[in-house]
Amino acid sequence: MTRYILRRVLQSIPLLFIISFILFNFTNSLGDPLAIYAESRNRPSARDREIILKRLGLDRPILEQYLIWLVGNDWMPPVEIPTDNGVRYERGTRRGVLRGDLGISFVTRRPSWTRIEERLPWTLVLMIPSYLITVVLAIAIGIFSAVRQYSFWDNLITSVSFFFYSMPIFFVALLSIYIFAVQFKRWGLEPIKWGGTGDGTFASLLQHMVLPVFCLVAIQLAGYVRFIRSSMLEVLNQDYIRTARAKGLAEGEVVRRHAFKNAALPLVTLIGLDLPFLLAGAVVTERIFAWPGMGRLFIESFERADVPVMMTILMVLSVAVVVFQLLTDIVYTWLDPRIRYS
Amino acid sequence: MTTQTDRIQSKSSERVLTLDPKQNVKGVSNFARSMRRLRKHRMAIFGALLLLFVFLYVVIGSLIIPESVSVYNDPRRALQPPSAEHPFGTDVIGRDILARTIYGGQVSLFIGVTAMLVQILVGTAVGLIAGYIGGVVDFLLMRLAEAMLSIPQLFLALIALRVFADPARFPDFTFMGRRFSSTMIVIVFVIGLTSWMRVSRIVRSVVLSIREQEYVTAAQSIGASNWRIIFRHVLPNCAAPIIVSATLGVAAAILLEAYLGFLGLGVRAPTPTWGNIMGEANSYLDSWFYWFFPAVFIMLTVMGINFLGDGLRDAFDPRSLK
Repeated sequence: MTRYILRRVLQSIPLLFIISFILFNFTNSLGDPLAIYAESRNRPSARDREIILKRLGLDRPILEQYLIWLVGNDWMPPVEIPTDNGVRYERGTRRGVLRGDLGISFVTRRPSWTRIEERLPWTLVLMIPSYLITVVLAIAIGIFSAVRQYSFWDNLITSVSFFFYSMPIFFVALLSIYIFAVQFKRWGLEPIKWGGTGDGTFASLLQHMVLPVFCLVAIQLAGYVRFIRSSMLEVLNQDYIRTARAKGLAEGEVVRRHAFKNAALPLVTLIGLDLPFLLAGAVVTERIFAWPGMGRLFIESFERADVPVMMTILMVLSVAVVVFQLLTDIVYTWLDPRIRYS
Repeated sequence: MTTQTDRIQSKSSERVLTLDPKQNVKGVSNFARSMRRLRKHRMAIFGALLLLFVFLYVVIGSLIIPESVSVYNDPRRALQPPSAEHPFGTDVIGRDILARTIYGGQVSLFIGVTAMLVQILVGTAVGLIAGYIGGVVDFLLMRLAEAMLSIPQLFLALIALRVFADPARFPDFTFMGRRFSSTMIVIVFVIGLTSWMRVSRIVRSVVLSIREQEYVTAAQSIGASNWRIIFRHVLPNCAAPIIVSATLGVAAAILLEAYLGFLGLGVRAPTPTWGNIMGEANSYLDSWFYWFFPAVFIMLTVMGINFLGDGLRDAFDPRSLK
């Protein structure tokens, strides 16, 4: 087992290098990162521009930039920077990702990690409750549906989940805002507040969370219900379920202890693969509800070609995906002793 | 599992018993059997009918309402609710939303289908190469697929779209008297090239298992070329999973286009799509008809495809022996 984990960790290292290299190339060709300086009041002259480019190292070949991004430039020979009286030599200050320096945001000029630190909690506040509600409801509904296969309720649940499965999330979001905020006001009811995170009190935060959480659950739930229903049905057809029933066990016992425990195994994989993507936030939902999460941070840095922040978000995600895949495998061997990795 | 194999065995023994060697029995191919199962699948038929409806809407609609209606604007009649004259209302600069959902729908459906074709072609090619050549090439291609799967597709597509959809490099073009934004073509490739990974994994695994089969060794020993083996043995064995993922791939492509359009970063004006109509309508929440109708068409299409895809998956499943 230890050897297996070690091998997986070693295998994921080239993977992360490939990911970072591709992404670095793409994010760096997104557009002129100095365009945001041009927006500011004291617009840089052509020479200032050159100086900024030199100091940021943006005038170098892309491979060299990638190397600097990885291992920093503090060990490199000083860079020539033109000034009014001749040239000045400046030493690089970046330590590189491999030494824990994720770079400075082009926009805020603060370490890009602080941008993530500001936004990640908000994303988690939204994603964790909605994901928990989704999984718990999906297990309940999925089992309910599976043990009544082809009954009225099962057919109803299947059709409704197909319906929501096909809904783009912006449709659910706009409809729910329209009904619960706009129309409620017209009908003289108390409209549900939406947009932003409230005025700082917990009660107001909760109220602002209602609609986005509802939308996220509505969209995610359908897929999970279908998944749990089908894996339950597969297990319920197994011989050992028949044996359990033949032994005279109560139906609830059979479903809970014999069927669900086994049907939950593929669910563990699914959750393990989906969890890291919660960190990415929900781009469209956060946009509609003006929620200051990771999805919006990505779009904002994307629109301003803020390469360091984008790279940080993307690398955090990739590392999370790799780590969670490994964790899923480990949890799996623990849950299912039949599986042995070698 | 044992019950399943038992059933298969008893079924096949029945078939053997009823076979009369003297009679020229015409066998039913697997594919024909699957199609017969599909025709009996009520959900699949419902899905196909939904798709037919959407297809006829954008085709017949464009025969009745000329394209000029969808671009004619009149700010004096902006954001009018549905009326007899404009059944779906008008948008923020007074264009007829009905006409725009027809012409935007054509573009959305076009993007969905062509992006799926790109995805399937690239996925199949990568899967074949990785499976056949193996070694370092296989390792690199599969790591690439893994790498791309570990980033949300929306992020990848956004970045790729910005890099490649440079309006200076690709100007608008005219086709059949209509002006299109070239982003429409770029987006097809961006969506296709960010979604080939699953198909390539399926094809690769089929290649790896097929290579070990005796009939492939036999084919090789009588001198069949690699291409013959690919087209006679490998591809037919991937057909079922490829058809299923192609069907669902259309839905995924239409949804991704809609999300990009909704964020205002997808296909650019003057080309309408269901997605970018939604993007414009996002700021006009009170004018429900503005966002409601394009969203309904996205939903109907995606739902139709999902029903059909689910039916196809059941129909191709060798375990359902009906």
